Amino acid sequence: MLRFVATRLGRALLTITLVVTFAFIVLRLSGDPALIIMSPDAPPEALAAFREAWGLDEPIWLQYLKYFTAILQGELGQSFRDGRPAIELVAERIPATLMLTLPALALKVGLGIPAGMYAALHRNSMTDRVVMTFAVAGFTVPSFVLGLLLVLVFAVQLGWLPSGGQDGWRSVILPVIAMGLGGAGVLARFTRSAMLEVLGQPYIRTASAKGVPWGLVVRGHALPNAAIPTVTVVGFMVGSLMAGAVVVESVFSWPGVGRLMVVAVANRDLAVVQCILLLVSATMVTSNLIVDLLYGVLDPRLRGTAPAGGGH
Amino acid sequence: MPTPLITIRDLRVSFHGLPALRGIDLDVAPGEAVGLVGESGCGKSVTWLAALGLLPRTATVTGSVRLGDRELLGAPPSTLDRVRGGRIAMIFQDPATALNPVKRVGVQVAEALRLHRDLHGGAADAEVLRLFDQVGIPDARRRVHIYPHEMSGGQNQRVMIAMALAGQPELLVADEPTTALDATIQAQILDLLRRLQQETGMALVLISHDLGVVAEMCRRVCVMYAGRIIEQAPSDALFAHPRHPYTTGLLAALPDMVGPKRRLEAIPGGVPEPWNMPPGCAFAPRCAHATAACDAAIPGFVPTGPEHVAACIHVESLAMVPA
Amino acid sequence: MSLLSLDGVSRVYATRRGLFGRPVPVRAVDHVSFSVAPGRTLGIVGESGCGKSTTGRVALGIERPSEGHVMFEGAPMPAPGTPGWRHMRARLQLVHQDPLGAMDRRLTVAAQVEEPLEIHGIGDKTERRDRVAALLRDVGLRADLAQRHPHELSGGQRQRAVLARALATDPALLVADEPVSALDVSIQAQVINMLTDLQEARGIAMLFISHDLKVVRQISHEVAVMYLGRVVEQGDPEAIFADPLHPYSRALVSAIPVPGPRRIERVVLTGDPPNPADRPSGCAFHPRCPVAVAACAQVVPELRHAADGRLVACHLVPEASLLKAA
Repeated sequence: MLRFVATRLGRALLTITLVVTFAFIVLRLSGDPALIIMSPDAPPEALAAFREAWGLDEPIWLQYLKYFTAILQGELGQSFRDGRPAIELVAERIPATLMLTLPALALKVGLGIPAGMYAALHRNSMTDRVVMTFAVAGFTVPSFVLGLLLVLVFAVQLGWLPSGGQDGWRSVILPVIAMGLGGAGVLARFTRSAMLEVLGQPYIRTASAKGVPWGLVVRGHALPNAAIPTVTVVGFMVGSLMAGAVVVESVFSWPGVGRLMVVAVANRDLAVVQCILLLVSATMVTSNLIVDLLYGVLDPRLRGTAPAGGGH
Repeated sequence: MPTPLITIRDLRVSFHGLPALRGIDLDVAPGEAVGLVGESGCGKSVTWLAALGLLPRTATVTGSVRLGDRELLGAPPSTLDRVRGGRIAMIFQDPATALNPVKRVGVQVAEALRLHRDLHGGAADAEVLRLFDQVGIPDARRRVHIYPHEMSGGQNQRVMIAMALAGQPELLVADEPTTALDATIQAQILDLLRRLQQETGMALVLISHDLGVVAEMCRRVCVMYAGRIIEQAPSDALFAHPRHPYTTGLLAALPDMVGPKRRLEAIPGGVPEPWNMPPGCAFAPRCAHATAACDAAIPGFVPTGPEHVAACIHVESLAMVPA
Repeated sequence: MSLLSLDGVSRVYATRRGLFGRPVPVRAVDHVSFSVAPGRTLGIVGESGCGKSTTGRVALGIERPSEGHVMFEGAPMPAPGTPGWRHMRARLQLVHQDPLGAMDRRLTVAAQVEEPLEIHGIGDKTERRDRVAALLRDVGLRADLAQRHPHELSGGQRQRAVLARALATDPALLVADEPVSALDVSIQAQVINMLTDLQEARGIAMLFISHDLKVVRQISHEVAVMYLGRVVEQGDPEAIFADPLHPYSRALVSAIPVPGPRRIERVVLTGDPPNPADRPSGCAFHPRCPVAVAACAQVVPELRHAADGRLVACHLVPEASLLKAA
């Protein structure tokens, strides 16, 4: 067991390292921060001074080494724009993002899973077809299109809800729907197929033949088995709690981590970008780790040995 | 025959308009061991799944299945839930997949006890242990807590049997219970079923494609073909003097373990598809003795001996011909 | 002159006990020796974990033995993947239980039967076409089925198609691993008859692996009973099935349900078939053996000739030479 956790942990750390390194390389190679921050007309001496101040004139491998050791010490660097520590900048935006992504997750799970289960239990009925059509529509329409549509209808035409900004509980509604509906569609489809597969298994028939009432067969026998693959998808969604907001935050001018990311990349604000990437990959990797461990809890077949055959 | 426990009359099942069962009439007496034998697709499993209401909604079921004086077909779910496992229990092939993989085996057996005998907690636990002993699972105390994948096929089948016995049923329907098991394990399970039948006095319906298994375990055997029973007889009589050409053909196609080696006589052709059922006797196209009259109508049962009937209009003349 | 001979062949796998345990060697096949003469059938019977399928794979050359030698047509079996081995595929063919899985869904039956001919460069286009037609006739498949796909055929028809493909290159040896287990009785009889007819017509040798003793008796000239990787009894099927000498063979034969009176009193074994990773000491069968004695737990019995010439590996079965001396 210890080895299981240790290998997973090791892989997680490796993933994070790779992500951060990759981002470092891409960002450093894609443009000169000095030019962007200080404008292309700035005098060469000012540019040179900027570069020296931020260590951008050093060889790239040295920059990486310094950067890496700094991270290990918990020092994530400072923003080029206002000199504040990157960690602070990012941390103060996290609550805003969570204010969108947590309710969106609740919407995905609370709408998607029951819809998928209902569709599976009433397979090929009208309801099933309607639910599935909506589900497909939900995840094929990109979130920013959905967001803009919602703004158009509810903010511009009807004037019921604000079109952007973080301003009271009303402003949360549209962004959450824009983010959550797609995921709900994905989960609905996934839950439906997981459920259908389980319902076709011989042990479901055994339970019915035992006299277990149908409702209990679904809740007590089918669900625990259908949960296993579903947990993977939900785990993925939990992992993108930080990352998933980028597009929607831009559409709704929401002051969250996603918005900060867009601005920081445009400005080549390296420290901030790397800090956000670290945060995102850590969240993703942690939730994957938890899902892996959860499998062991949900599926006893993954825990230990199987015995001799006895059957052909 | 004493008052039958179960009476099936003119049971017909079709899936999307295609017939799977074309009129089954069958009685099972209390405590009796009846064998239902036939090749794949003949409807032997469908008969009992239909009787217990376990077929999917796409199946159309007509006819009558009476348990005592109660009609089972079309009965409300609450009635059927009480009958299933409580008065009629069913066990299936391939015990490895027939048990829920994420629940401990003790819990699965205890569920039946809770549903049918209202046993909970300590009383239920004690009864689960007793059932495990009764079906011959060694080291029951430890085995109660393990999962199906941690046990062998033979042991899983014993758990299934324990689960079936939990409700103290009057009839156990065993659908190919040993087909997925090794020969020596099969012998153990059949031995167990025979002993349990004697101990509990319950009736047994054994469904199998293996004539030998059915011959050993059952007093009376029904042979099915293309959704109908085509011959019914006491087991010794059936194997010594089969009357229906299909039964004769089946026995001739089976390799023997004893006696001189002979060339197997294969029945030419194949089972008719549901959408292509012959108008009269379903076996006529493959039968060496078929005449025009065979296509006229589906043959009814013709008595050919004590408790021995065969659905063939030529039974009398065929019986005269030496084998 | 034997076509195929295995001499002291063992096949050991390294597995892990549990998810994190130490590696444990598993002897799937343990010192098995036999030979198959041209045109004859050797049947191998046993239950799960006895190693019969692994033996079949080693005999075919798909797996290398960990110990011992495999000789085919007088020469050592080449290692898998080598050109010599590839060339030899035309002489050895495999038929096994699941005909649907053995065939490609997307290709027609005719295309699949022709494929081995293409691979081994046999004949030109027209000759191959004719050969395919002849093969389909030999296995009793109607010509119009040739253009169908595997899932459009019945189980028996598929198995015939697989057989036609196996015979395409005119092999000297056919290894059949549970070829009729998934078929109904009447179809099974058709396929068994076809195998015997083909053997007579073409002189093909067969290694017939099955758990079904009745079928093995029908088709084999010699039979070997395996238990946990070892051969425990080997010889004439009539002798072995009428009067098995090894306690395990006895239990196995007596377990077969037959209509009518029993020839042998049924021996019901206790417990489950053992785990190859957890091999008992001495004779692997001794924990379940109704007549085991002290020596059985200590010494592994060797295969020795019994009175009627068959081979038996049991301490309690007297050796023929000893009897002669007495």
